[in-house]
Order: sequence, then C-alpha cells, then structure tokens
Amino acid sequence: MNRRGKKLFYLVVLLLCLLLAALPWIGFSYAVVWIFLLAVYFTLALSYDIVGGYMGYMNLGHSTFFGLGAYTTAILLNQGFNLFAALLGALLLTAVFAAVVSYPLFRLRGAYFALATFGLISLIEVLTTNLRDLTGGSGGISTPPGNHMIPSYYLVLAVAGGTMVLSQIVARSKFGLALFSIREDEEVAAAFGVPTTLYKCLALIISSAPASLVGGIYVWNMTYISPNSVFGLEIALSPIIMAMLGGTGIMIGPLVGAVFITVVQEFLWTKVPYFHLAMYGTVLVLLGLFMPGGLVRTRFIKPFIQWLGLGETVDYFKNADAERIP
Amino acid sequence: MTADFIQLLVGGILLGGIYGLAAFGLSITFGVLNVLNLAHGEFLMLGSLMSYGLFIGLGINPFMAAILVIPVFMLLGVGFYLLLLKPIMDKPPHQLLVASILVTLGASLFIEDVTAFFWERPVTGISYSLPPMELAGVVISSTRLLILLFIFALACGMQIYLKKTYVGKSIRAIVQGREGAKIVGIPISRVSALAFSIGMALAASAGAFYVTLFTVTPTMGIPLTIKYLCVVVLGGLGSIVGSIFGGLILGVAETLTAYYCGAEWSPTIAFILLILILIIKPEGLFGAKK
Repeated sequence: MNRRGKKLFYLVVLLLCLLLAALPWIGFSYAVVWIFLLAVYFTLALSYDIVGGYMGYMNLGHSTFFGLGAYTTAILLNQGFNLFAALLGALLLTAVFAAVVSYPLFRLRGAYFALATFGLISLIEVLTTNLRDLTGGSGGISTPPGNHMIPSYYLVLAVAGGTMVLSQIVARSKFGLALFSIREDEEVAAAFGVPTTLYKCLALIISSAPASLVGGIYVWNMTYISPNSVFGLEIALSPIIMAMLGGTGIMIGPLVGAVFITVVQEFLWTKVPYFHLAMYGTVLVLLGLFMPGGLVRTRFIKPFIQWLGLGETVDYFKNADAERIP
Repeated sequence: MTADFIQLLVGGILLGGIYGLAAFGLSITFGVLNVLNLAHGEFLMLGSLMSYGLFIGLGINPFMAAILVIPVFMLLGVGFYLLLLKPIMDKPPHQLLVASILVTLGASLFIEDVTAFFWERPVTGISYSLPPMELAGVVISSTRLLILLFIFALACGMQIYLKKTYVGKSIRAIVQGREGAKIVGIPISRVSALAFSIGMALAASAGAFYVTLFTVTPTMGIPLTIKYLCVVVLGGLGSIVGSIFGGLILGVAETLTAYYCGAEWSPTIAFILLILILIIKPEGLFGAKK
C-alpha cells in the first residue's frame, strides 16, 4: 500500500472516466465503437473471473449467458417491450438458467467442469438453431432498427463499471473469502462450514448477470444476431483468454488482458487475414506453459501493481510451494 | 418397423464402438496424467485424414489404415507429451488444471485452424464396402460388422495389456495413486508418455473407422471431445468396460434421436445424457464410488 501511488491511481482513473464520457462528443466515432466492443469483452472477462478466478472453476461456457441475454432481449424487444424491461427479463431468465444448470454441472470438478460448460454453449446453440419459431433459427434474429450507438456506449460503460464494483464487493466480502477457500481446497472449505453447493450456485448466478446485460445491450446496438455470432468460438474464448492473459482472481487482470488483446487485434490481426484461431491457440499454449498466473503476476508488472496499492490479491498462488509434494 | 429398428440399433452400436474406443483413450490419459486432453478429438480428426489419404493415395483399406496410424500417432503422442505436457506436470494441482486446459485447448484450436487452412474440399468419407449380409430379414453391412469386430478385438487387446503386462500394470498403478507409484519406483514420466501415446493412437485408430461412416470436417474436434467427455462420465472414469458401454449407449441414443426426432436434435442428446447421469449417478455406470 502506497498513499502517493493510490492518489495518482485515482487521478488517472478520474481522468480516464472523463475522457471516456467525453469521447462521443469530441468526434471519435471509430473510437466509440472500439471502446464499446472493448467494454463488452472486458465485462465478460471480469464476470467470468468471479467463477473462473475467485472460485477456481474454469467456466469455459461463460458466453452462454451472453448469448442467452442477447436472444432474450432481442425477443422481448420484438414483442414491444422497452429496453429496460427487456434487459430485466434477460437478466432474470439468465439467472434462473444459471441456477438450474449449476446443480448438475457443479458435480463435476476441474477439467471435466470446464469441458462440460464448454459443451453447454453448443447445446444452447443447437437449441436456438432448432427452435425456429422463437429465435429465427440459423438465419438469426433482428431487433427494431435504429442508431443506438451512443446510448448503448454509455450503458455498456455503466455495466462495465458496475461489474468492477460488483467484483470488488465480492472479493472483499465474506462470500468472496469463501469462494477463495473453495478454490484453494474445496473439502477443507466444506469442513470449515462453507456451504459450498449454495455458494458455487450463487457465484455462477452473480457472474451470469453482467454477461446477460452486456449481451442485451450488444443486440440492442447491433440490431441483428445469429447463433454463430453470439455462441461462436471467438466470443466464447476471447474473454477467457483476456482474463487468463491479464491474470485471474484479481480485478486489474481482466482489464490488462482485455486492453492488451484488443490493441493487438487492432494493430496486428487486421493485417493478417488467416490463422486467427491458430494465433489464439498459440497464445493459450504459451500462457499455459510459461505464465498461468497472467501478465500482472509476472516479475516486471507485479511490483508496479503493488505500488499502486492494488496488490492484495496478486499473490494468488502463494501456497503453491506448500502444496507441492517433493 | 422392427427391421428398421434393428438397423438403427446396429448403426448405433457401431457408432458407439468408435466413440468407446476414442473415449477410452481420453480416459486413460486423464487417469494417468490427471490432465483432460481437450485436443483428443483433433487427433481423431487427424487419424481420419491420414486414413483417408492412405485410401485415396495408396488404396490401403481402412482396416490396414487403422493399424498403420497407431505407430505414427504414438510417436506424435510422445512428441506432444514431451513438448507441451511434461513442462507443466510438476505444477501444484490448481495451477496444473489451469495450465493443462490452456495448453490442450490452445493446441486443439491450433490444429483445427491449420488443418482448415490446408483443407481443400470436405472429406466425404471413404467409399469402401464389402458385400452386405442378410440375417433374418435384416440387411447388415458386413464392413460395419467387421469394424465392430475389429474394435472389439482392439478393446480386448487393450484390456489384456493393462491387466497382464508389467507396463500395463504400472499404468494402472499410476491411475490408482501417483505418489504411491512413484514410491515403488515406477518411472512416472516414461509411463505417462507411453499412456498418452496409447490414448492418442486409440483416438486415431477410431478416426480411421470414423471416416468410413461420416463426413470429416476440421471443426469437428471440440464437439467430439465433448462427446467423449460424456462417454467417459457415463461409463465411469478409467474403466475400459465403462467407456465401451458408455460409447454404445451414446451411439444408440444418438442414432435413435436422429431417426425419431430429426437429425438436427442428435447433437443435444450427448449433453442431456451427461446431465442425467450427473444427477442420477455422478460416479458413472461402472465407476467406483469415491
């Protein structure tokens, strides 16, 4: 903890907020679109982190919530509801869905959980493709047209900010502590009286909420989605890669990861038309081999993060050596 | 009607045999390495491609191909293990989980994308068939029957290998307890490499048969891995009988769903089975209760 570091940090954050708020009025329309997508991915990465980072369950199917939120919002908008009612509906439906699937899914652990949640995406994708009357099938669904770029930009920023607050509240609460304990050792946590089943379910519901809201805003802005665009590999994997690259289990991690990846995409990937998925794959392999702790836990960035006073949860793997059997 | 049903059943059982073979490969790698190999389906895909290439280029029939791919993919498996998995094996449990998912998922995406890039046209299956057989009014393709026999023989061979030979026993010992196996002097790393390559070879071998029945596309790897997960959970971890049975159940269920509800619903059945088994009997049909 460093007082001067904290002051400087808050000043930078304030300036950044002002800049973001002013952006649409100083005529950078391309930057607005770019930040909109960045905020969508960042919110997904951060809300993934509640289950994936804090609780240690890799939920590869996080984009299911995004897609469900998007589809529910689109359907409700087409029924003539206004945006906020539609978003509320999407939020509720996704929360119920998360609660229902949490019961069977959390009987799996580790890699099995990851793979099963990954399968959940394709299940929902098949369902949306097959229920043609409700969702428009593989042709996709359109919402009432209109240019909602600027309001949706502010909305998505608000949701992103709200998710940051939510993530911080969870991290500092007793509930968050229970999640950390589940990550370190679930049996021990249960033995110490943590209601693990209930908390795992709650964590999944909490992490589903921002994803569904962002999905709703996304479809409101884009006015068209297809099963492939919201349940595809790209949207499923990028937030997770961002969270992993930045560092899971710490709020600053997904932010670093999201900014890093979108900047790289912007300047590098648009130049190369092929092998995007292969590049994602390579990034994943390198991450797994060399820094599963993420960027913020590397030797060069960690002191800086700690200097800013954000380092309480940087020492994520601090018991790593104690667990190792010689 | 009954004839239809029996036809479906035979088709389903054959599909199930292929699933079971590949799923056992997945199960054995998970048991030994404690790593769920998300790139498993990709190796089935590569196995299919190779057997297709052998058939088109050299006219080698799928049965020969299924044997020929085994040494190739064992070497590939050892390479994969040494290059990507061995460096992360010493990490503590939680870190190992994250790292292994990242590495295997990354490898799977990489293989998928690179294969898709060099893919010229969709591989529509090998048109290899022997004269069909008629049995009590039911026409059964003898190719399929032979494949089923072949898979059965391979599974039996695997079972004998694991139960009787020294290396097979050491593989089972590692599955039961890694630390204990280390204490009695089993060379963990070498046996792990072997087990991983066996798993890979089984997947590739199953792939050689897969291509005789279905269209092979570069993107089929991950959905297939999810199906194997379902089979493995259904049958119980680490049990070869369980994997084969789990595969049979899934294969028959998929075929029946495709026939009675429409082909577009058959991808959902694997997941529904997975959810059902998790609710009713989480340790699997043949799994030991923990």
